Amino acid sequence: MNGTGIGHWESGIAIPSEARDLLCVTRGRPQVRSRRSLVASLLGLTWGAALLGMTWAATALPAQTQMPTYVIRGGTVVPVVGAQIPNGTVVIQNGKIQAIGANVQAPQGATVIDATGLFVYPGMIDAGTDLGLVEIGSVPGSTDTREIGDFNPQDVALTAVNAHSELIPVSRVNGVTTVITSATGALMSGSAALVDLWGWTPDEMAVKPRAAQVMSYPSAGGGGRGGGGGFGNRPAGDAAETVSRQVRALRDFLADARSYADVKAKAAANSPDAARVNQAMEALIPALRGEEPVIFDVNSVEQIRGVLTLADSFKLKVIIRGARDAWRLADTLAARGIPVIVGPTTQAPGPDDPYDALYAQPGVLAKAGVKIAFQTSGASDVRNLPYNAALATAYGLDMDEAIKALTINPAQIFGVADRLGSLEPGKAANVVVTTGNPLDVRSNVKYLFIRGQAVPLTDRHTKLYEQFRARPKP
Amino acid sequence: MTNTRERGTGNREPLSFRAARRGILGVPGEWRAARLGQQGFLAALGMTVMVATALGAQQATPPAAPPNAPALDLSAVSLPIPAAGRLVAITNATIMTASGATIPKGTIVIRDGKIAAVGADVAVPAGAKVIDGAGKYVTPGIIDAHSHSAAEAINEGTLSITSMVRIEDVLRQDGVSLYRQLAGGTTTLNILHGSANTIGGQNAVVKLRYGLPVDSLLFEGAPPGIKFALGENVRQTNRQLQPGQEGRFPRTRMGVEDLLRDAFTRAQEYRREWQQYETKRKAATTAAARSALIPPARDLELDALVEVLEGKRLVHCHSYRADEILMMLRVAKDFGFRVATFQHVLEGYKVADELAKAGSGASTFADGWAYKMEAWDAIPFNAALMAERGVVVTINSDSDERARRLYQEAAKAMHYGGASEQEALKMITLNAAKQLGIDKRVGSIEVGKDADLAIFTGHPFAPNSRVDMTLIDGRVFFDRATSPTLEQLIEQMRNRVRPRVTSEEQ
Repeated sequence: MNGTGIGHWESGIAIPSEARDLLCVTRGRPQVRSRRSLVASLLGLTWGAALLGMTWAATALPAQTQMPTYVIRGGTVVPVVGAQIPNGTVVIQNGKIQAIGANVQAPQGATVIDATGLFVYPGMIDAGTDLGLVEIGSVPGSTDTREIGDFNPQDVALTAVNAHSELIPVSRVNGVTTVITSATGALMSGSAALVDLWGWTPDEMAVKPRAAQVMSYPSAGGGGRGGGGGFGNRPAGDAAETVSRQVRALRDFLADARSYADVKAKAAANSPDAARVNQAMEALIPALRGEEPVIFDVNSVEQIRGVLTLADSFKLKVIIRGARDAWRLADTLAARGIPVIVGPTTQAPGPDDPYDALYAQPGVLAKAGVKIAFQTSGASDVRNLPYNAALATAYGLDMDEAIKALTINPAQIFGVADRLGSLEPGKAANVVVTTGNPLDVRSNVKYLFIRGQAVPLTDRHTKLYEQFRARPKP
Repeated sequence: MTNTRERGTGNREPLSFRAARRGILGVPGEWRAARLGQQGFLAALGMTVMVATALGAQQATPPAAPPNAPALDLSAVSLPIPAAGRLVAITNATIMTASGATIPKGTIVIRDGKIAAVGADVAVPAGAKVIDGAGKYVTPGIIDAHSHSAAEAINEGTLSITSMVRIEDVLRQDGVSLYRQLAGGTTTLNILHGSANTIGGQNAVVKLRYGLPVDSLLFEGAPPGIKFALGENVRQTNRQLQPGQEGRFPRTRMGVEDLLRDAFTRAQEYRREWQQYETKRKAATTAAARSALIPPARDLELDALVEVLEGKRLVHCHSYRADEILMMLRVAKDFGFRVATFQHVLEGYKVADELAKAGSGASTFADGWAYKMEAWDAIPFNAALMAERGVVVTINSDSDERARRLYQEAAKAMHYGGASEQEALKMITLNAAKQLGIDKRVGSIEVGKDADLAIFTGHPFAPNSRVDMTLIDGRVFFDRATSPTLEQLIEQMRNRVRPRVTSEEQ
């Protein structure tokens, strides 16, 4: 799978017919449309969902070979990296941001989007989901979020991402364009994928097929995603013993994998065919080399300290996620340059914590110098990512920092800041045009681009809404 | 049949007596009568504090001056009991009344726990405690139409009909959770029985009078209600039966309808028996004739259902799919009662006209979906679309956590489906009061209503606004300035761990 995502990235993916139709792009070549008709068709795209099925069938076009060029003009451009540009222009060409600035010439033949009174942001990144791996939580046949066993580092989340999940279009509507998705709950749950929310296949969606290993650190607290360990409700008596046994197992597994890597390297030097392959340990080699980060789903101080010790022992590049107690170690985490993925902020704090602990923690971490990102930690709630961050801004997180935590920070944390996370020339055109601050529930997303494709803002929900809004009075 | 509730509870002593016996109050229960008596609730509330703190006192002191009582340590977070809202003025604030226009820069005067005046040109009375509202927004206290807080147990799921059990009997001050809801501007909760069975237990409407004795939580005069439930939960679809355990009837949505019709048929017969008995008793002129009469056996389960039939008990019906909503409406119509609210009602948008016609309210989530099969057609446009069709809609929490940020949830009705700001605010205030039958008392900022208010640092729907202060009956029950925050805790910890190095040690 290596490089597949990148290959598709470079070439761009074919534009699904619904988007082509709605953008009124004709046979293989983008057609310049009058501003009004484009806006009208894009608006129709949002609300005219009920009619879509017929429209597709009637006007389906063959796959096009060239990607359209867009010019977003007149809006307040928030590049995230660099200052806001009032009345700025963003040019999208061949799936990338071609230019951004106050005085940018529109290329010939570009489709113009009038963003007067609107705001232009980079797409947001949710740093913890199981999107694509689950459709309906309580229906076992629709969930691929938890494999049997505690050690499954060889499992690859991307394998099971359903590119046509109904939850994916729903996740986009408030400006999320990219997510980390993975199984969770085991001590080693396998590799997480960083995917854009657009593509015909998982490979086409992938930005980084193996973005990180996902692990948890045992805890006596048990239960729940991010709680660490997969051992549920054990009697209190043996909880401590269970934790120490699991910590030992985790260390042993990593130590074995390290030995495996050493032996393999030596064997390979002598006779390349000699080494037997152990899938699980093979999968851990990039993490043990520090090439692939390891996400640890943890909450308590004890767990976080345990992770720091593991990081030292095995030279792991760790990312702390969930991390209810991270504020207690803010200075340590900042000094060691360990990023923290916070959230969801829409959880109750621990019973002994202040009422605003989870709301205030992102601000505390950011002020201490910790690089933070946000997660919604699920699949059906991804669209609430910006509102998770909003709660943090009400309790001390600076608004600009919050925007960074939703864009450039996760891109940096997962090593894709050269491609994602801000509006800069050469980066992927994951672009969101909004009526206001995307953290404000009252704002709406007007246009959304992923890798330069104008993505319809329709989903299962808009379709049902239109359908039943049109129901005649009985 | 005028007094079914009395009959239903006749063998029980008043709640306050039991509470006293359990040692929660530590005093005989005279105070409760006083509390609900003519002296007015607020004065009595003050008295409650005094009585409750004067542990062991034999006589309740008559209410007098506002209490300056020491703190009651009833919870995880110990805070002073709020000063009585005798005369308070909130000045220079943007007042979102929920019932009328927003007042950009106005004053609210609170007298004896009630709103005495509100407007742009209202003078601050002499001697009033002034809360400076400059730059702030005041809304009515938020009402959560679906909560399971403050109760020790909520699901008597052993039988399919448990209309005899009462949340009121298991109310508790569950400490920090209530405080956290106050910190989100929430002041009133509809505490419902769980959804494990078709006909569940009786609800309790409470005000979040955090820190006061548990009986003080009850919203005095709120109409009684009961929880019904339909769909997957009562069918036990998502529950793993233990080996050897038999499934409980009903298992299908048809069975649920059957169960409801059977229960209400029995309730009708039971009512008839009592009516016949009462008629005969009144007709009996001699003592001998009277003693020859045997009253029907009392049935606490049917007592509650008779109250439903007589419109004295509000039905709050947990529901998801359109078909089961229509079924419940048919059953209610056939037996002559109105379903006060459909709870969750995630497919309510499919049958909004039927809901509006029946006069049933709808209390839904802002955007929860896909967590189970019957939540697959849930859409975030539900609230706005139902409101557009004339249904009285609320957005609820069903969660101690979500109840802390209902203002953000309400704003989603603007985001999805374009509800107006006023409509969205009503969905967590006035509409909830209407659904619970307490709109004469709470739900909007109007003269004469209880001074239950939330004061926000900015517009309640803005991303970076938070609640600064929450008042109930004019008393400040939450104040960010004096509340234990993470910032404070970190500051304390810093000071604690910072070593004091003296010159000698150096």
